[in-house]
Amino acid sequence: MNMTPKNGQGGEPLVARDATYYRAPDALRARIRSTIAAETRRQSRPKLWTWAGMAAGMAAASVISWNVALMQARSGGDDLLEREVASAHVRSLMADGHLNDVISTDQHTVKPWFQGRLDFAPVVNDLAPSGYPLTGGRLDYINGRPVAALTYRSRLHVMNLFEWPAANPGETKPELVTRHGYALVRWKHGGLEYWLVSDASGADLLKFAQVFAQ
Amino acid sequence: MNQGGRFESTVMPHLDAAYNLARWLTRNDHDAEDVVQEAFMRALRYFDAMKGSEARPWLLRIVRNTCFTWLEKNRPADVVPLDDSEEGTAQAAAAADFNTPEVILLQSANRKLVNQALEELPAGYREVIVMREIEDMSYKEIAAVAGIPMGTVMSRLARGRELLKISIENRVRRAS
Repeated sequence: MNMTPKNGQGGEPLVARDATYYRAPDALRARIRSTIAAETRRQSRPKLWTWAGMAAGMAAASVISWNVALMQARSGGDDLLEREVASAHVRSLMADGHLNDVISTDQHTVKPWFQGRLDFAPVVNDLAPSGYPLTGGRLDYINGRPVAALTYRSRLHVMNLFEWPAANPGETKPELVTRHGYALVRWKHGGLEYWLVSDASGADLLKFAQVFAQ
Repeated sequence: MNQGGRFESTVMPHLDAAYNLARWLTRNDHDAEDVVQEAFMRALRYFDAMKGSEARPWLLRIVRNTCFTWLEKNRPADVVPLDDSEEGTAQAAAAADFNTPEVILLQSANRKLVNQALEELPAGYREVIVMREIEDMSYKEIAAVAGIPMGTVMSRLARGRELLKISIENRVRRAS
């Protein structure tokens, strides 16, 4: 340590020699990079729901984003979509009144509600007999377009089922992924793309998907 | 260059500085990582507002504020208000740096001991010492990051060093 007296500016450090300089762990660096990449991709999309979501709860959103970043980065499009779907689910639960625009356990009330609000007709099934009662529906905005969001319950868990017209024809079987503690199941059927998300178990969601598609 | 690329080239180089400050303020790795991640998210969000300012103080201000918000929420006891009654006395800052026998004593202090002493300093003193002495920042930069006048930076440095010196001396004495 150089002991030159200090004259107000540019003096010699007193503790620098002995105190630790903590360098950022590589894992943190990688996590931040992947989050930035995801964020900048997201920001290049229509900003409508992005900013609405941020306003809805920056704190919660950042918690989620970090957890998202912890997950292994998958290929761009799917990764982004999973993230959007999970975020939409979380947002729907954030405050009273976000979950449903139409509150009904009757599919014949919920389905017509979407008429004139969407450019497609969502499939609305009541799965109460299988243990998944319909609780309502609302409009949401995912993948750059307005989508139908149906809400169901599985015991105490809320399930969001998003539907929109599939970009490509074809059918796909229900496929399960998890995202920061939420289970997501996606499938394609009859020209619609379905995304189911909940904090219920993945097995539960797969069962729902199976029953719904019947 | 797109936004991600500009962020990478201007802000990412200061990740170590961000982590070092957060680590010293939160005093553990896990919390520091959380805070830095959150701060970078905010930095990205407000990146457009950085225009023209220097990246390091701009980023560290966000990190510092994120740290204090986090501390206030999770460890309110860590955020004690400081008595800056003698602020503005640049002389005090200079005085604490003179080459005294006590300071020389510090040369024998080991890293662990210095780390402990610095960790136990009140956060308001700790942050200016970390920025000045570990991060080698100018008074002006520190003032901008901490959001306090330069005079307060100097007086806090002076007092912080004084407290640190006493703490280290006591530790050395106890150890010997």
